[in-house]
Amino acid sequence: MTKPEDSALIERELAAVDEALASGFADAADHGGPDAYAAHDADERELRALALALAADPPQAAPEFERELGRRVAQAFPRERAKAKRSALRAAALRPSAWLPKRLPKRLAPALGVAAAMVVAVVVAVSLRDGGEESTVKSLSSQRSSKAESTGRATPRDLPAPSERTAAPPPGPAQPGFDPTRRERRIERSARLTLAAPANRLERLGDDVTGIADRYDGFVLSSSLSTGEEPSPGGTFELRVPAGDLRPALRDLARLGTVRSRSQTGEDVTVRYVSLGDQLQGARAERRGLLRRLERAGSASQADALRRRLDISSRRISGLNGQLKALRASTDYARVTVTLEARRGSAGAPAGSGDGIGGALRDALGSLTASVELLVRALGVLLPLGLLATLGWAVARTVRRRHRDAALS
Amino acid sequence: MSEAIAEPMALPVKPLEAESFGDLYERTFSRVYAYVGSLLRDRAAAEDVTAQAFERAYRKRRSYRRGKGSADAWLFGIARNAALDELRRRKRHAGLHSEPEDADAAATAHEQAETALRRQVVRAALDQLEPRERELVALKFMGGLSNTEIARVLGLSESNTSTKLHRTITKLREACRDEA
Repeated sequence: MTKPEDSALIERELAAVDEALASGFADAADHGGPDAYAAHDADERELRALALALAADPPQAAPEFERELGRRVAQAFPRERAKAKRSALRAAALRPSAWLPKRLPKRLAPALGVAAAMVVAVVVAVSLRDGGEESTVKSLSSQRSSKAESTGRATPRDLPAPSERTAAPPPGPAQPGFDPTRRERRIERSARLTLAAPANRLERLGDDVTGIADRYDGFVLSSSLSTGEEPSPGGTFELRVPAGDLRPALRDLARLGTVRSRSQTGEDVTVRYVSLGDQLQGARAERRGLLRRLERAGSASQADALRRRLDISSRRISGLNGQLKALRASTDYARVTVTLEARRGSAGAPAGSGDGIGGALRDALGSLTASVELLVRALGVLLPLGLLATLGWAVARTVRRRHRDAALS
Repeated sequence: MSEAIAEPMALPVKPLEAESFGDLYERTFSRVYAYVGSLLRDRAAAEDVTAQAFERAYRKRRSYRRGKGSADAWLFGIARNAALDELRRRKRHAGLHSEPEDADAAATAHEQAETALRRQVVRAALDQLEPRERELVALKFMGGLSNTEIARVLGLSESNTSTKLHRTITKLREACRDEA
């Protein structure tokens, strides 16, 4: 660190150098300065003389070079200008200035860049929030709606389980919750959802819950709903939804009202499923062996004994088959329990967005909250990206500067 | 590549217009050439780099911001980058080596003996400096930049620049005394 006395010395001597360069004289007395300047000590005079000697011996440019460069400057570097004109013509269609207003201030460019980055961040944030399911769900829904319209409303119970309808999972987009590379995994899924809505909307809500189950080729296992003048209006719906459609179905259900609670569980029963399959295979093999032995039975008593064993084997096969089917059904379909509750103080509220000014204010607050959430998500993407870009730029700048400075080493 | 010169300041933003570029050229040509020539010590390379620096500056004149320092400092920053790029290129091509800056022998013959001797002493002292120190001397005495402008060109703080400059001048004085 520089000491104060050193700082004073540095300041004084550098000022003397500047003064000598400005005046062109080694001593102030030489150019008739005030008497105070005449008091330069020998050291300072030597310093001033050195400064003048250094400045007096600069490399001189050749006059022809100076003339030539001066001409090019006067002509605004003609070669560059022509080149720039050609490239400008080529890039006219792509260059923003070609279609942006000519008077657009240049300082707007960074703002436009930031805006574009924010739009990208918002798009990314929205897609992250929806988990990229929107398009898949829409297409699935539309396919199913059109199928239902063309074939009539088939009872979901009459439909075979998804695994029985097709030998292999259908090709196309991966279903959420399933790993396509691990088709053999068997997972029992269940979810509970509690929705609140104005009491006078509960009945319609019940219909919507059933509609969503239908939309995803699921079914309502049981339901109970009390509305009207009941002291505690509400209801419960026990749904079965194809496991692959659980997430979009839950999302659609959550949109029907205010979500009070939501929980989801999953249990991997693959080991049990595989074990049952192996047992069934073994029982069938045993049965085939017994049948072969029965064909070759030498006596009536031996045949009777084999028949008894065959009966036992058949019962075992039947039992294992039943267990396997039940397990398959419980993994092909997820259990969804939807509980509907009447929102407090909203029994007389009209259907729709809410109850007058209060409802409107709640809606406005909801919209504001959603906007803030979106903004926070966008910032969550934008800030790290911006930090990374800034860091990269700073590192590149430092590296470039060091590389250049290394030329002086 | 951007010609980065020091930190930005919130001052009025005004690009360097074409007409004032001519003034800038008139004002700085000989100083830029002297600075580049001192760094490269090769007349042909100094001419190429000086021309290149002015062309680059002309192309980038709209990116100049007064808030980032004087136009002279901005131009010297560009010239410095061009000169350092040239030095790096030369290092890569080991076969090329710089020829010493041709001393104006005819002129010295007519000069007084004392002046010629002093010039010789100063040149010998300059040769004893590190390249970075020689650059400081070149920016100060050939380029005629103020300490603030030198700080801008080198991307250093003003006090750091002053300290380094003072240290270099002191070293140069001692070398001159030794040579004398």
